[in-house]
Amino acid sequence: MRKFITIFSITLILSAFSFQDVMAQCNAQSYSEECIGKLPSGFTFLKSFQVDGQGGAKSKVEYSYVFSKDTQYSINICADGESTDGIVVSMYDSNRRRVMTNYIDGNFYDGVQYPCKATGIYYITFTFEGSSKFCGGSVLGFKR
Amino acid sequence: MKRLICAFALLILISSCGSNRKSAEQALLDQVDSTSLTDTGISEEVISDIIQQIPSPLEISVLLKEVGTEYDNDILNAASNTSKYNSNYKRALNLGIYGTDLGYTNIYSQNQDALFYLKSIRDLADGLSIGQFFDFGTISRLATNSNNLDSLLLITTQNFNKINSYLQEQKRSNLSVLLLAGGWLEALHISCQVNEMNGGNAELVEKIGEQKIILENIMLLLSFYSETDPSISKLMENFTELKDVYDQVEITYTYEDPTYEVVDGVLTIVDNSSSSINITDQNINDITRITASIREKVIN
Repeated sequence: MRKFITIFSITLILSAFSFQDVMAQCNAQSYSEECIGKLPSGFTFLKSFQVDGQGGAKSKVEYSYVFSKDTQYSINICADGESTDGIVVSMYDSNRRRVMTNYIDGNFYDGVQYPCKATGIYYITFTFEGSSKFCGGSVLGFKR
Repeated sequence: MKRLICAFALLILISSCGSNRKSAEQALLDQVDSTSLTDTGISEEVISDIIQQIPSPLEISVLLKEVGTEYDNDILNAASNTSKYNSNYKRALNLGIYGTDLGYTNIYSQNQDALFYLKSIRDLADGLSIGQFFDFGTISRLATNSNNLDSLLLITTQNFNKINSYLQEQKRSNLSVLLLAGGWLEALHISCQVNEMNGGNAELVEKIGEQKIILENIMLLLSFYSETDPSISKLMENFTELKDVYDQVEITYTYEDPTYEVVDGVLTIVDNSSSSINITDQNINDITRITASIREKVIN
């Protein structure tokens, strides 16, 4: 009986640890959904992006999208609280040259407007600068 | 010690029960949609990365309205055609087509037509067992009032995004690819028809030329399935004819370092790069003709 209680206790402890892991997981989907409300007026929602740096294990989260000439895009970032929690969004053209970032002169902006002048595939890259949770969401909208 | 072994065996049994249940669910799904068995040899992650690059057809619908063209439902696929679509291949392609048509009717606030397309979308989505991701009640309610355009576009786009994510999660990316291909084909068809009816519009001509980039992505996606799926192989053959014309279209890109400005706390990038499209009238005529021909095969 004592052995059974010992095994049962160990199982309970292990379950508790695993439950804590789940709780600590990044709910990037929730951030990306909340972020839709951050799109500036006049922009139509296109896509939401989940930014899960897996607690710092991942240094970069990348997506891509075909942006169109003469269309204005807005990319907004959401993280815990009002700040971007060190989440940096940068955009690169198909030759990997940077065309946009929200991290300028040491300031993090939670939204960037990008009036695109050249149609093509662009890479939307999220990195982390002094982030505490490495977790957030982002949303892309457009207007003509 | 015997008890310890028993407890350990019990834990293993519980774990394996979980994985058996998962396999059973997967087996059921595979039964519902035999095309999901297609082994592309390409990772789902790669396919998903390419899929998410494809722009929303809504961008084209907004352009059409902006250049001042009138709403014309004759160029859309009739909402009553749903009964013709009895295979998953046809359902997925035409779900994409109706998605674009719905976006077009929404942009022009054509509420009655939007409701017809919603019904068609519901029928096709149900046929593909993805109807649960389309909030028909809310969308129908929003569609009856043109003041709800922003919310209507938001929910419709979110629903289609959810459908795409779900299909990819369920390893039914082939259907997701067809859905996107159908949506793109319809947007190109509408652009070509509107351009033709308006005697050529510079912005539309450029937009049609830009589709070269999207076509390349769609062809790449279709190629992953063309060896194992005869329907997709046939569709790819049709798209190849279109690609032959697009190969004559030149897109020139010039990069310049961007600058930025902050106005009232809003960061705005000044994109100093540029692109231009070199496309002839003959190219436009050929693209219009071939697109109409492919679409005809898809919708009938």
